[in-house]
Amino acid sequence: MFSEQAAPTAQGLLAPPSAEPPTFARLAVSGYSDCSQPFQLGERSFSRQYAHIYAVRLAGMRPGLERRARSRWGNDIALRRLSELQEGEKCCVVGTLFKAMQLQPSILQEISEEHNLVPQPPLPKYIQPEDELMLEDELQRIKLEGAIDVQRLVTGTIVAVYGCEQEDGRFLVEDHCFADLPPPLPWSGPSSDRFVLLASGLGLGSVSGEALLSTQLLVDVVTGQLGAEGEQSCAARITRVILAGNLLSQNTQSRDTINKAKYLTKKTQAASVEAVKMLDEILLQLCTSVPVDVMPGEFDPTNYTLPQQPLHRCMLPLASAYATLRLVTNPYQASLDGVRFLGTSGQNISDIFKYSSMDDYLEILEWTLLAGHISPTAPDTLGCYPFYKSDPFILTECPHVYFCGNAPRFQCKLLQGKEGQRVLLVTVPDFSATQTACLVNLRDLSCQPITFSSFGADSDD
Amino acid sequence: MEQPRRITDSFPRRRRRGPGRPPGRLKDKKDKDKKDKVQLKVRDSARAPSQPAPDPALLEMLRRFDLSWEYGPCSGITRLQRWERAQELGLSPPGPIRDALLEHRDNPDVTYRWVWDGVGW
Repeated sequence: MFSEQAAPTAQGLLAPPSAEPPTFARLAVSGYSDCSQPFQLGERSFSRQYAHIYAVRLAGMRPGLERRARSRWGNDIALRRLSELQEGEKCCVVGTLFKAMQLQPSILQEISEEHNLVPQPPLPKYIQPEDELMLEDELQRIKLEGAIDVQRLVTGTIVAVYGCEQEDGRFLVEDHCFADLPPPLPWSGPSSDRFVLLASGLGLGSVSGEALLSTQLLVDVVTGQLGAEGEQSCAARITRVILAGNLLSQNTQSRDTINKAKYLTKKTQAASVEAVKMLDEILLQLCTSVPVDVMPGEFDPTNYTLPQQPLHRCMLPLASAYATLRLVTNPYQASLDGVRFLGTSGQNISDIFKYSSMDDYLEILEWTLLAGHISPTAPDTLGCYPFYKSDPFILTECPHVYFCGNAPRFQCKLLQGKEGQRVLLVTVPDFSATQTACLVNLRDLSCQPITFSSFGADSDD
Repeated sequence: MEQPRRITDSFPRRRRRGPGRPPGRLKDKKDKDKKDKVQLKVRDSARAPSQPAPDPALLEMLRRFDLSWEYGPCSGITRLQRWERAQELGLSPPGPIRDALLEHRDNPDVTYRWVWDGVGW
């Protein structure tokens, strides 16, 4: 664990000053390679429809699912397309799920004037018992019923169902399966303890400044300015910091200035300008000491659709002078010291949370890994770039650390796969709410939370 | 005596536009590869065909390639992009189509999807 790394000869703070203060050199970065090229978009063209991304998703995942279906239900099962179905014949069909939800926000309902309806307020969950599940392949769709949990699944998942077609045209499902864990990557992790700090939801620019003290404490711990020699020697083992999104608070997104008259808002600056300046100063302190990867999140000044492009370096003039600052995409994939990290800022998980009965962020994270796709609800309910050639969110290799940012609380789990995959699932909590960050040990894939709670206005001393 | 030279001779040569075209259509200049179908028709009439027009049998073969569902949706991307995508997904699209697309690269009737009545995606 982190605190056990303290150097044995470390002295406490109440010790006489020594002639030569001990220094702890930070462990050098031995291997880093950025694997998020599929998420970096060059020329963007939005004149395409989303049919392409669904078509390549199905075509790309179909071979893997057919293999999985054969290994699960026998080599001699009949794999049919929906157009070849015969009534009463037991067969297996591979297709995309579509969940018809009544409460799903629809732009057509909002602008429909005949109904005179007020736009639906945002709900925490949009599921209802009357939702129906449909399977679509390249040409047709069919309604599903039977041994399939309608409430749990979301639109856009590629699934293989085994069953037969009924007289009324519905498909009775006896069993279903997903793509399951992708093939494992060879393990070449470090032999000594090395830590990576995962934090998300710094929430700068919010109205209350309570989280600022915790943020400064976090920076001080990482740069070794906090604690005695014991803590400093531990902090020297942190080789990287990954900030997983929502560096700015949701308050910076207020659009009141648009509705007000121009003469009232002429001199006011957008709240995000001050917040980005604060972010620049914090990143400057971190970058002078440790490599930092900054991922954008839902409230950060970058594009809205997934994959979000890196923040522009002109916004961070002080910090981008250092080569240790890396502005990366969301989702982010990289190989650190031989350990493959893959993670998002949490928009994919929170979107599945809204449209599924699953309540636990860690459960949803594990489910996306088993379904073989980072974000199946894109582009249906989550904005996505209209890819046409390939779907970069399909998981082709199993990462060693799979994280999502901006979760309500910290959770972690080590998942073992049948083919020897070992994945550490981490839900990184929102720092502005919980003041908790995570430390991942690269040697044995263990994870530990670290909390910087400060005295709040309502707590009594 | 040499021909009187103008200042404009040193400017880069631009393609002469057809008569009746409004000046300053910047969109037209940089949209070589975009799929803006409305401007497609105008561009066709202005450009002099540099090679013989493709025969109707070739166009028919390309239309059948567009409408075959195995290779995915055909709207919004060029036929060559669709062919290459099908190739990468292992759907083995027929080779002669690619040769035809590369041969008639300049002809927008060949590169873009067949358009119904000039309005399409």
